[in-house]
Amino acid sequence: MAETSSSGHQAASGEAHAAHSRKPYLVIFGLLFAFTILEVLVALPSLGVNQILKASALILLALTKAAMVALWFMHLKSEFKVLRWSVLLPFAFPALYAFILIAEAGWRLLD
Amino acid sequence: MSATATADAGHAHGGHHEEHHGLGGHLLPSDSAVGLATCGKIGMWIFLLSDAFSFGGLLLGYGILRGGATQWHSPGEPELGINFTAVLTFLLICSSVTMVMAVANAAEGNRSRVTMWLFLTALGGALFLTGQYQEYFGIWSHGLTKEGLTFGKSAYASTFYLVTSFHGAHVFSGTVYILITAIRSARGKADANEVEILGLFWHFVDLIWILVFTFVYLL
Repeated sequence: MAETSSSGHQAASGEAHAAHSRKPYLVIFGLLFAFTILEVLVALPSLGVNQILKASALILLALTKAAMVALWFMHLKSEFKVLRWSVLLPFAFPALYAFILIAEAGWRLLD
Repeated sequence: MSATATADAGHAHGGHHEEHHGLGGHLLPSDSAVGLATCGKIGMWIFLLSDAFSFGGLLLGYGILRGGATQWHSPGEPELGINFTAVLTFLLICSSVTMVMAVANAAEGNRSRVTMWLFLTALGGALFLTGQYQEYFGIWSHGLTKEGLTFGKSAYASTFYLVTSFHGAHVFSGTVYILITAIRSARGKADANEVEILGLFWHFVDLIWILVFTFVYLL
């Protein structure tokens, strides 16, 4: 039962009026805000960050922010395991596909 | 173990589902794959996955064109305004927070607060769209179209307008969807399940923007 979607169940049964903690939402909001500022700083040309390091940091920050929105704001974290992985796993394949195709396109520039 | 527990839970609440049919929307038969999620919620997740792959296709095309380009910005084409777009990003993040507040209040049955948070979220969406209009066409200063970024003239311009306008269309439809639900909530017609499903769509729009902001503006 630990994986029961609390909000989904409450909404479905229409019987829930228990107070929900707002703290996790505010923590995620603070992190999203801080990471956005960090991203803008990393992207500043004047900072002179190495291009590969900059791209890696920006992609990592963006994926972390997207995961936070999906897991906490969209409640995937507390959804049933099968639903959670049915949503998350399919993204591995386009991500791999994108990496191979973009790397291939970039590789041609070296010829 | 979880499958058994889920099936049991489904049985245990079967009676409630019938009783609250009008309140919570239609429920799927008990299934270990979806637990107690409603048909509407599963339907929204399936739609969001297909929509995510649509965005994925656009971003992949953008990535391939950019990865293989010797020169991405043609002479005379303007740079994208990162600081202004960072403010728009902040706006969408704020609207995601107001949306989770609406969902939490809906689960607690605080109808008037749900309506207030939903209208605030819609305001966030409307401000984002105003910002995007300013960025494209200019309201208080020159927009990108007047600064020489013309759709169809270069891969840089075309992919920029294609990806951001496709997202903008989602913000527009999301804002309309929020306004409709806010009005339904004010009339006492929107239940918690409906608000939660709306929340999924709006957070998805925010999630996609997080990726677009990084890939199109920052990289």
